Order: sequence, then C-alpha cells, then structure tokens
Amino acid sequence: MSDPVAVLAIPEASLHHEELGFWRTYLFSTEHKTIGKQYLSLGLFMTIVGGFLAYVMRWQLAYPDTEVPGWGFVGPEFYNVLVTMHGTIMVFFVAMPILLGAFGNFLIPLMIGARDMAFPRLNMLSFWTLFVGTLVLLASFFVPGGAASAGWTGYPPLSAKAIYTGVNWGLNLWILAHAIEFASFLMGGVNFLTTAITMRAPGMTFFRLPLVVWQLLTAATLFLLSVGPLIAGAVMLLMDRIAGTSFFLPEGGGEPLLWQHLFWFFGHPEVYVILLPAVGFVCEVLPVFCRKPLFGYRWIIYSTITAGILSFVVWAHHMFLSGMDPRLAMPFSITTILISVPFAILVFAMIATLWGGSIRFTTPMLFALGFVSMFIVGGLTGIFNGSAPADIYITDTYFVVGHFHYTLFSAVVFGGFAGIYFWFPKMFGRMMNETLGKVHFWLTLIFFNATFFPMHILGLGGMMRRIANPMQYQFLQPLQPINVFITFSAILLLVAQIPFAVNFVWGLVAGTPAERNPWEANTLEWAAPSPPPHLNWGEAIPTVHRGPYEYSSPEGPEDWLPQDRLVVARSS
Amino acid sequence: METTAATRAGTDILPGKVGVWWFLASEVMLFGGLIGSFIVSRLGSSGWSGEAAHLSVPVAAINTLVLLTSSMTMVMAFGAVEKGDPRGLRTYLFLTVLLGLTFLGIKAYEYSSEVAAGFTPVTGLFWSFYYTMTGLHALHVLAGIITNLALFVMARRGLRNQHRVELAGLYWHFVDIVWIFLFPLLYLT
Amino acid sequence: MTTERARPNYVAVWVWLVVLMIAGVLASYLPFAKSAVIFLVFVVAATKALLVALYYMHLRFESGLIYAMVIVPVVLVIALTFLLFPDLVFHH
Repeated sequence: MSDPVAVLAIPEASLHHEELGFWRTYLFSTEHKTIGKQYLSLGLFMTIVGGFLAYVMRWQLAYPDTEVPGWGFVGPEFYNVLVTMHGTIMVFFVAMPILLGAFGNFLIPLMIGARDMAFPRLNMLSFWTLFVGTLVLLASFFVPGGAASAGWTGYPPLSAKAIYTGVNWGLNLWILAHAIEFASFLMGGVNFLTTAITMRAPGMTFFRLPLVVWQLLTAATLFLLSVGPLIAGAVMLLMDRIAGTSFFLPEGGGEPLLWQHLFWFFGHPEVYVILLPAVGFVCEVLPVFCRKPLFGYRWIIYSTITAGILSFVVWAHHMFLSGMDPRLAMPFSITTILISVPFAILVFAMIATLWGGSIRFTTPMLFALGFVSMFIVGGLTGIFNGSAPADIYITDTYFVVGHFHYTLFSAVVFGGFAGIYFWFPKMFGRMMNETLGKVHFWLTLIFFNATFFPMHILGLGGMMRRIANPMQYQFLQPLQPINVFITFSAILLLVAQIPFAVNFVWGLVAGTPAERNPWEANTLEWAAPSPPPHLNWGEAIPTVHRGPYEYSSPEGPEDWLPQDRLVVARSS
Repeated sequence: METTAATRAGTDILPGKVGVWWFLASEVMLFGGLIGSFIVSRLGSSGWSGEAAHLSVPVAAINTLVLLTSSMTMVMAFGAVEKGDPRGLRTYLFLTVLLGLTFLGIKAYEYSSEVAAGFTPVTGLFWSFYYTMTGLHALHVLAGIITNLALFVMARRGLRNQHRVELAGLYWHFVDIVWIFLFPLLYLT
Repeated sequence: MTTERARPNYVAVWVWLVVLMIAGVLASYLPFAKSAVIFLVFVVAATKALLVALYYMHLRFESGLIYAMVIVPVVLVIALTFLLFPDLVFHH
C-alpha cells in the first residue's frame, strides 16, 4: 500500500450554465468571446489615440513650428513625446491587443473545438491587467513633465536619467505601463498555449489545426521566450532612474549597449509576435475566397517555426551603427538574410493558393491581398536594412520608417482589417456592408502607399527619423514638398478610416443578421451559431474528421467540406 | 485517413501543469537575461572579486541550506497529498512557509549589515547587480510564501483542487534553482 | 496511461543537495587556478539544479513537451549570453 501512489485524477471542467448579471456578463466576464471583444474595443480606442498623435506629428513635419489645427503648438520637446508615445501605443496597445488579444481569445477556443480557455479567470485578469496598463500609459501624459520622450526603444543614457530628457515621472510610468502590459500578455500567452495543447476537440490533431492557430501559438511562444531579458533590462533601467545605479551609464562603469541588446533581443521577435497573427488571418481568408486548399499547409507551419527560431538570432541588425563590435555585423547580416527564406516560402504559398482559384473579391479578401502585396514591399526594403553595408547609409533615416510601416502597418491594418471583416459575422452575428468595406479598402490602399512610399525617398535623401523640424537642415529643404505631400496623404489615410467606423457601428446595430457560415468556410468556428452561445457548442463538442482547407473536394456535394462533417463514402 | 479519436486530444496532460511550465519558461528568460548581463559585465570589468569578498559566505550558505530544505518540505507536502494525508500536507506546507520566511529574514539581516558597512546599490556596478538580482529573487520568494500560505489556509478548510500543491511546488522549486545559481555567482567566485 | 507512478526518496535527494552545497563552498577555497575553481563550483551548482528539477519538479517523469519547455529557454539564455561577449567582455 505504501510505495507507488495513485495519480490524482484530472478534474473535468464544469459545464453547467448559470445566468450571470450585467457586470459578470459584459465587464468582468470570463467568457473568451467577450474578452476577445474587450481587447478589440481597447485596441480600436487606442488606435484613435495613436492615430491622432501621428496626425500632430505629421503636421509639425510639414509646417514646422506652426499651430497644429486641433492641437496647438508642438515644439521639439513635445515632438519627442509624440514619436515615443505613437510608437509605444501602436505596437503595445494597438497591434498586440487587436491581433493577439482579440483574435487569439476569440478564435483559439472556437477553432480547436473547446468550450472556453483553459484558465478563464486568468484570461479575465489578463485583460483587466492590460486595461490598467493602458490607464497608466495614458495617465503619463498628465503628470508633471509630460509623457516619456526617449523614443519607443528607450535607449539609455537618454532614458536613464531624468535630467537628460526633462521627463521624470512620465518615463517611469512608461516603464511601469510596459511591465503591466507584459504581465498581461504573459498570462494571455500561457493561456493560449495551454488551451491549444490540452483542450483540442476529438480528432483535432496538431496537423489539422487551422494555420492561424499555429501562427498565434508561435507568436505567443516568441513573446513568452523573448520578453524576459527585456523585463530584466527594464528593472535595471528603473533602478538607474530611481535608485541611482549605473547599469547603463558609462560614468558609473555601466554599458548603454547592454540595453540595446536586451531590448532588441525582445524587439525582433516582437515584430513577429505582431506579424504572424496577421499572416494567420490571411492564411484563413485566402483559401475561403479562392475555393481551393491552401498551398503547402505543412510547409507554412515549418516556415513559421523556422522564422520563429531565427528571429532570436537576428536582433543586432538593429544595432549596426550603435558602436557594437563590428565582428557581430556579418553573422547578424547573414541570419537576417536567412530569415527571408521562410517568409518567402510563406508568401509564395499564398500566391500559389491564388493560382487557379475561383477568386471572390469580398472585402476580407481584398484586405488579405493588400497584406500580401504590401508585405512584399516591406520585405524587400528589409533586405536593404538587413545587410550591414547598405544599412550603414540608411539606418535611422526615413527609409527605415517607411520600411517598418510597410511591414507592421500592413500587418496590423491590412491583416487586422481582413480579420475584422472576415470574423465580424461570427463575433457579432451581423454582416458588415460590402460596398462601404470596399471603399474603405481602396482608400486605405491608395493613401497608405502615398504616405509611406515617399518616405523611402526622403530617407535616401538623408532625412533622419525623430527630427522635429526638417527645415532646420539646409540639405533637407528641397525635400520639404515631399513632407507636405506625406502629411496630406496621412491625413487622408486617417479620414479613409471613417467608412470603417461607420460600417462597424452600423453593422453592430443594423447589419443583416448573419447565418452560421456566411463565407462557406471549413474551419470549426463556422460550425457554431453566429454569434456562438455561452460554452460555444451546445450539448456536444464537434468531432474533427479532416484538415481545415478541403475546398472543392470531390468528396462532398458542395465546394466546401467542413472539418466536422462526416462524409459517408459513396458506393458507386 | 480517418483517424478520429473518441476523446479530446491531449486530456492526459493537466492544463495547470502546462501553464505553470510555460510561465516558468518565461521566468527562466527573465532571470537568465539578468544573470547573463551580470556574467558578461563581471567578465568585462576588473576588481569584482574584491567587492564580492565583502559578502558573508557562511550566512549565504546557511540561507542556501534553508531554501534547499524548504524545497524538500514542499515536495513532501505534495507527497502527502498523493498519499491522502491532509495532516501531513498542512504540516509540510507550514514548514515550507516558515523556512521561506526564515530565508527572507536572513536576507534582510544580510542587507542591513551590508548597508551598515557602506555597501549600497550605488556603491558600484557589482553592488547594483547584487541588490537587483537578490532583490528580484526575494520578491519571487515572497510571492511563493504568499501562495503557499494561501494553500495552507485552503488545506485547513479541506483542499478541493489538490493539484495546486504540485503547481505551487513547481514554482517554489524554480525559485530554489535560481538561488542555487545566484549563490555561487555572487558569493563563491 | 498508467494510474500509478513511483516517487523518488525526497529525503535522500535532500542529503545529496546538502552534500553538494558543502562541496561547492569547499571547492571555492581550493588552491587551484581560478578558472578551474570556477568551473568546479558551477558544475556543482548545475548538478544541484538538475537534482531539484529532475526529482522535486518530477521532470524525470514528464513528457517530451515539458522537457522542450525547459530546454529551449535555457538554450536561448546561453545563446544570448555568448552573443553579449563581443560587446561587454572583449571591449577593451
């Protein structure tokens, strides 16, 4: 009776349904779909904040030191705040909440056939943690000295002492807001991974998972494994600022480069944390509207994982001109060029999916195609930045600004909108307006290119990023018309989002009720009602019989074959 | 091609365990980043051995012993759960909390005697790292103590979800492992 | 899935841990070359960590998935540390 002990039974999740009050249903909900919508609302709200900062910044660049309509005088100190907070908000409080938070929460349980996340209460906590982080970040605008102004990368020594930027509490709160945001997404990431590993429906093997689940899981893994060193760095930076240590201050024996290494060890995987979910949305949208299987399902998975692994050893390509040991430049150039191989495979797989398909140009499909084409431009300019010899000339210029907006903006905006238009019927049970959607797409595409393409020219002309007044430099004065052009394109790009806002609100209130599977898609979320009820699946969870992209299969009567449909073999 | 399992794929793994291990993976990166920074800073600077000589090895060794012992009592608490011994569970959890508090007490004594001798976080880079690394570790110990104390209270009322003991144990042992590396890094070299 | 599994003797592991800790402290006073002493001290520390992970955290009885979740971050930390060498160690 003594030595071997019985293994404790694994408790089954309770299935009973209880009626909850207003607060537990809409605010402090543990339901993954509600939490996903909360992330989406928070992200969309912060987009407005970040977009407004971009507008003020652009006006200052076009007409330096004039009154910005709707804001007022800017000046160099506040311009630094604008640059810093625009970057921080867009990366950490828009891209991650929308792409990872909203869609990860909404899609993962539905797509794997689970009733909810593995840890529903932790899930609620992760959203409200992010909410607090957002409040802290927004509060930093109103403390004495104003918000952080050391760039979104927060390089010391500039960020390590209050006297260097004149910002004391703003920057401390900025670090605190990051810490809270990281804690939130650590909880979220643990939840995503655990859910997908332990709660898949019967028959849902790893190689039957929709690709977006794979991409979300890879993104969550990258975040979990890369953020630790940055948190360590943030602790050191906070110690420098508050306790008076000198981890990053040369006069006290510290090394500012250490921060850059720790930051970019996180920073580069973070790019893929944002990018991969968007790639996943496109992988879902393309086969549905091509009516044919996704090309190279397994190769896309292998490429995603390869890109994820490589993303940990490319970070120093952000630091070619930082004074880093030049012997590091070559290996990091090589790994950077190498990482374009898995991404090329991804893009070619997407293009091959289109080939020979019977394409339906719906709004989500247009945005997916917009993502693929714009991402290629961003990828190509990345090759210039990745090779040390070229990067020495263009680093910290508008070429880089153009490059990362082509990659990240295309991921967040084109990928994100593809996701929103595609899953809106499932999320809210109503359809969005197609015409308004198409207007939104074309305006966005045109003004996106008009805004960011000329930035490459500015960069090659020598215009540095993060300067408040290009007119101060004689060699930049001939380029000023381009700056004015970009500013007006950017304003129109922001205006182009109005059709979306109208469409979104109108769709919520008065859209045509959506049927269960309006796009005739295969993946499991379309097997649930629109919107799915509490616990998603009614009495029995679905059983999975095949992979997610069996379109135009000869087995079924229609040109789609849902993952959960059992096909009886025809005898004749 | 039809390979449909009758049950959920992957129910034989406890979700909580997967979750805690993922969390620990991110913690490895956090302490790993800090320890890596310390190692390269130390190898790149001179004179840190002299600074480290001001730390008290005997006190730290006793503290290591305390933490190692607390790991044993923690895992024996889990053993008591598996054997269906609620009394043993309470005893071992109580001992673990007590040993954790002892560790923090000794650490506080160390800090105060170092500060009294004039070694504060701003004395030099070695001391900055020393206080940051041990301080972050002490915060983790504190979090573990709070968790174990909560478990102890739950165990007195009759613990419903007994897996929690194993999960809290995983975290506690991880904190122990961090100290196993901090001890030689800071005191013995 | 088996319903029973063997558990290690936790007290015996503790005895080993204490012996190793004392060995580590004593090793740091050995009159060898400094690099040899440091190597020895960290071999002892790694052994202790392995003992705790394998027996107290039951890693010996876990699946490959959990092993991967331990090994991958350890590899990444080691890679990060080595890539910091050119800038922070060889910089003079």
